[in-house]
Amino acid sequence: MRVPVGVKASVFALLIMGSYTYFANSIPQIESKPPQELSLEGGNVTPAQLVKAGEEIFKTKGTCEICHRIGQAGTRAPDLAGVGSRAATRKPGMTAKAYLIESLIQPGAFIVPGYPPIMPAVDKPPIGLNRSELWALTAFLESLGSTVDVKLDDIPKTAGAAAAGGGATAEVKIPGDAKAGEQVFQGKGGCIACHKAGKIGASPVGPDLSQIAKIQTPDYIMKKILDPRGMGTVAGFPPGVMPPTFGQTLTAKEYTDLVSFLLTLK
Amino acid sequence: MNGLGMARRWAGFGLAVVVVALALTALPALAQEAAKEPTYRSFPLIGSRLAVWAVAQLHLNFAAFILGCPIFAVIIEIIGWRTRDEKYDWLAHEFVKLTFAAFSTTALLGAFLLFLFVGYYPKFWTYMTSIFFPTYWVYALLFFVETFIVYLWYYGWDWLSGPRKWIHVTLGVLSNLAGTAILVVANSWVTFMMSPAGVDESGALKGGVWAAINNFTWMPINIHRLIANIVFGGTIAAAYAAFRFLSATTDEERARYDWMGYIGNFVALSAFIVLPFAGYYLGREIYAFNQTMGITMMGGFMSWLWIIQAILIGILFLGSNYYLWLGMERIPGSERYRKFVPPMLLILTIGFMVWATPRSMVITLDEARAMGGTHHPFLGFFGVMSAKNTVVNLMILTTFLSFVLYRRANRVSVKSWVGTGMAVQWAAFFVAAAVVVFYGVYGYFVESIVRIGFSVYQVMAVLGCIVLVMALDIPMFKGARSTGTIRWGTIAPRSQYVLILLAVTFTWLMGLMGFARSGIRQHWHVYGVLRDTSPEALTPALGYAANMITIVTIVFFALVSFIFWLGGLSERGKAQAHGHAAPVIAGGSHGED
Repeated sequence: MRVPVGVKASVFALLIMGSYTYFANSIPQIESKPPQELSLEGGNVTPAQLVKAGEEIFKTKGTCEICHRIGQAGTRAPDLAGVGSRAATRKPGMTAKAYLIESLIQPGAFIVPGYPPIMPAVDKPPIGLNRSELWALTAFLESLGSTVDVKLDDIPKTAGAAAAGGGATAEVKIPGDAKAGEQVFQGKGGCIACHKAGKIGASPVGPDLSQIAKIQTPDYIMKKILDPRGMGTVAGFPPGVMPPTFGQTLTAKEYTDLVSFLLTLK
Repeated sequence: MNGLGMARRWAGFGLAVVVVALALTALPALAQEAAKEPTYRSFPLIGSRLAVWAVAQLHLNFAAFILGCPIFAVIIEIIGWRTRDEKYDWLAHEFVKLTFAAFSTTALLGAFLLFLFVGYYPKFWTYMTSIFFPTYWVYALLFFVETFIVYLWYYGWDWLSGPRKWIHVTLGVLSNLAGTAILVVANSWVTFMMSPAGVDESGALKGGVWAAINNFTWMPINIHRLIANIVFGGTIAAAYAAFRFLSATTDEERARYDWMGYIGNFVALSAFIVLPFAGYYLGREIYAFNQTMGITMMGGFMSWLWIIQAILIGILFLGSNYYLWLGMERIPGSERYRKFVPPMLLILTIGFMVWATPRSMVITLDEARAMGGTHHPFLGFFGVMSAKNTVVNLMILTTFLSFVLYRRANRVSVKSWVGTGMAVQWAAFFVAAAVVVFYGVYGYFVESIVRIGFSVYQVMAVLGCIVLVMALDIPMFKGARSTGTIRWGTIAPRSQYVLILLAVTFTWLMGLMGFARSGIRQHWHVYGVLRDTSPEALTPALGYAANMITIVTIVFFALVSFIFWLGGLSERGKAQAHGHAAPVIAGGSHGED
């Protein structure tokens, strides 16, 4: 039987595409996931926890490893081994942590001789680290050859302000009543049992939410209430404490009121 | 052409115009409505991202074809007009016929894509509209102009023949100008998403829209896409000819489509040779815009994508050369040049292997320890840009040599200076190859910023060689003695499968490069300005992307086959479709092809 040309050509084309597809599936599969926001404000974070969080940022959201190595000279950027002690010698009169913070948010202020001025400000989009993340990252860099002494207050208040990169979609209006939400926070929601929110509450079980709207996105806040485990646990706090049942116990109105209230906490 | 066919074509035209008119009139209202809407909606079953991905890739495939094909169609028409050779006129008409059949489908897919954006990404579309709204009108106007001119060009083929041919050729040129203008307007939107300019930190337009249009990657993408469209148009037209060749029932028909396939491949190959240079330019501008983006693209999670790209391009080079070598077998006198095939094959194969060598490998700790690191102690040297730039330039030189040998296969120069001319040509090849190798090796001993500059010298050496060799070759073989006419139609049938291979590979490569262009934005709709906060914000791995590219490519070829079949229905059984007698090609090269 004579096979029609159309069938032969189609089978041939499918074999070609199949082989490309097979090869693409057989090599290492690497996804690029959107970075998670890290919040450390109000938390009791030990230096060790801070360094661990900073190392994670170094390898993921900060994208530092694209150019920097630790213990290996790179062609694009300096080796960061020992940078914690070396940083104090870079600019006369400048402490190590001040130099490191400046290097992160104003990388053009001092260029290590022999390297091109290619480093972006990491608190600006597209990397867009927030203050907590800058704090952790600085602590990690300090730990490479020195002791960690950086405090959150060392990070400029303005740093990371443009981190969200929301552009035209930054504004989110929740159709809830913030005053009613405050009642939910103190009453039915029982949030006050673990969280502080401005003048309300004082328990240290969970993170202080007094400035949560300033450091977190509305998207994060909404998801965190419904899926606390899925959104991760703030460093320094025990995981699994926050109940995952608010999606069932709160009405839709109570939920939106609560979110509206949290978004007033700046 | 019968009345039914004519009515169907005009219906297609009317449909395309209505779709654009509807889209244009609906845009402001839809955009205003979108401002009140949620940020995202979810497309049923497959999700919004896959829906946009599939339709965008299909739209780009069709758009690339209908923009690329007319560029060489009008050039072929001009050749036919000036040489008074009817077969070129027939061929140009065949190419435009293919374009014409795909025209309304492209418009429909474009409108569908627009509706997906407005409906499923309303905030994103509102933002883009806030920046680019003035350009929407320009785009729509150009689309109308393009549509009218292409229809006039196609339907006026007989009416504007003879002494009025210049008017017809002018229409062809104008349709290409309008088509290219459409391309650059659309490119301003997509390149703004990659490398936004002219906006402040909040994403608002600072000055005029021109600053947003003239962003870092706009011009490189314009050039890259224009060239790639010609390659794509050539490969699709050649694949169409291959299919017709394989289905042919007469020698005459086989000869005609053998010739058409050769021309299509020649067009594709000519443009393909310069495409890597346009790619360098684009890559350089991406680095100039944002180092992080450039490094993420080449050395980050996308680094393996370039290995796949290298394999695909290697197959394109090998396939194109193999087709030329098979083609030489139907040319009397080509036996003289067959001895060059093994060394050329060796260079292409080695080049292919070097280009496809990864710099660092994802391996286990034990494997890394055994190898002494993630870089192989020997092969690792071939994974860097110095080696890759060197081999791609050598592969281009080799392909060019294949073409030169093919071109002179049945000709013997009768010029008195032929010895000197050929010596200069060979010297040009060797000098270019030496420059390429020298800077390739030297690149290992200098800083990366210096090394990047070396690629310019390598490219200039190759281009200089091409220009010099052709400048000598054309006068040297003018009036040459023929060793026999090309036996069109006698080429081995497997050569036609090579043409299909080239078309499929290039289409797949386009999908892959589209993924690269879009994927380097990662979780940003507009890089650094407008973040993708949808649940689908992650950039998938290459395997997932490959599955998607393959599915869309299959759909594309199914649609193209159907459209071409539909377009040919009204002409079935007619010897003189559109009044154009199909030319007799067999043995008719006269030493000029």
